[in-house]
Amino acid sequence: MPRFSECVIDHFTNPRNCGRVPDPDVAAFVGNPVCGDQILLTARVGDDTVGEIAFEAFGCSAALAVASILTERLTGMPIPDVAVIDQTLVAGWSGGLAPDQRHVAVLGADVAHRLAENYRGGVLDDAPVSAG
Amino acid sequence: MELAAMVGMPGEALRVPRAQWRQSLAEAVGAAFAYHYERNAFYRAQCDSVSPADIADYADLHKIPLLPVGMFKQAGAHVLLTAGLADIETEIRSTGTGGVPSVARRDALTTTRASVGIFGGYRDLFGISKGAGMFLCPSTAEVPEMGMVKVFNLLTAMLDDHRYLVHNYSFDPEQALAYLRGWEGRMTRHIIGPPFIIARFMRFLELESVPLTLDPESMIIMLGGWKQYTGRSISREEFNDKAQRLLGIDTTRIRDMYGMIESNMLAIECEHQRKHVPPWCFVSIRDVTDPAVELAPGQTGGIAILDALNTAYPGFLMSDDIGEIDESDCPCGRTGQTVRFRRRRQGAELGCCAVSIEKYLDSNEVVAECELVDVAGRR
Repeated sequence: MPRFSECVIDHFTNPRNCGRVPDPDVAAFVGNPVCGDQILLTARVGDDTVGEIAFEAFGCSAALAVASILTERLTGMPIPDVAVIDQTLVAGWSGGLAPDQRHVAVLGADVAHRLAENYRGGVLDDAPVSAG
Repeated sequence: MELAAMVGMPGEALRVPRAQWRQSLAEAVGAAFAYHYERNAFYRAQCDSVSPADIADYADLHKIPLLPVGMFKQAGAHVLLTAGLADIETEIRSTGTGGVPSVARRDALTTTRASVGIFGGYRDLFGISKGAGMFLCPSTAEVPEMGMVKVFNLLTAMLDDHRYLVHNYSFDPEQALAYLRGWEGRMTRHIIGPPFIIARFMRFLELESVPLTLDPESMIIMLGGWKQYTGRSISREEFNDKAQRLLGIDTTRIRDMYGMIESNMLAIECEHQRKHVPPWCFVSIRDVTDPAVELAPGQTGGIAILDALNTAYPGFLMSDDIGEIDESDCPCGRTGQTVRFRRRRQGAELGCCAVSIEKYLDSNEVVAECELVDVAGRR
């Protein structure tokens, strides 16, 4: 099996929905304090459904690709569905992850859950995402 | 000398006459510049009026455009790659005080060259082929992508036994002492790790009045910098004095190294405590106010590294470090350059693998202390 799936290569090389949505309804940030992988999602939500969404991410190639993949998959998804996304689903969306990349599927599922929780709680994460 | 020969036998490449070193280096770095110029549109766009035709000899190397090392932290880092992601074999990272990782991606050829070159550097500068290594850092199993640990881990192939003594970001000096005692009389014992953890271990020996003399050929091998995450610096002179007093290790066998994960340059100290730049790299010191201006050897400025090994991305980097180079012949017999790191550039985050380990080591100790207080409070 190649180290990176075709899907990860595509999203890493041609990332979709980079940046931040202006005046978002929700912002969700999750970071791994040890390895440093970080994903910030900002989105607009209407009728309990994700509308425009964008990401900022730092870390390994798989983390950057998964953040991009999430923005495509979450667009048009009802918030209750976002709340139950799990790492297996994220790994499947990415076309498969090597063993040393699987932590990224956990990160992807975590940031999706946080997005749903934050929307329900009216929280906008003040993300410390910065390349310094 | 061809690049492959430099990588395979860095010890010989570091001892050729200076004129030959300059010619070989210029050819290797010039060829690397042409390689990336032709294949990397992003890098070519940074080259303005410079092309491979302008790099004819050693005096031209300073013209090669540099990439700021901070770009490896940017979200759009894919544009740095000359190789496609499908060809990338390793991703090595370093996280500083800011928390955002710098990620360096290497393809198979670069990984092979860097591994062989670093291994050759260890053989030449340390001459180790046996003994036991006490690694005062996490294992590669625990932090597989951490640059410093990856570089240390190559040393294990030269040793008969080794142990990693930082687990889950905690360090037990009693355990370290037990391993050193266990190897006593059977193997030459070496201590490897970032300076601050070795300093912690020596502080433990001092406070507990533990008598310990290592072996005549024991070495202390370090990487990771002398500044702690708190901003406090460890004094090299005090460190050397303590190592001699508490471990019985002669100063000539205490060796520091300097490198950064984005580059394949690992400068290793000889017995005269000069850090030798590997033969496939050129270090150029730049004016901090205008990086286009190259400073003469001996002058202090920003450290730029031009690395001929890298085929994954252009290894022509302007670092956030301040220091100087020395092009005088070293008493050890090696020619080429030696580099001295002074400090980080003003405003740059304190960033390296060692700083991250120390930060978490300290936070774990604080948590442990709080737990003890909490338990005591409940009684």
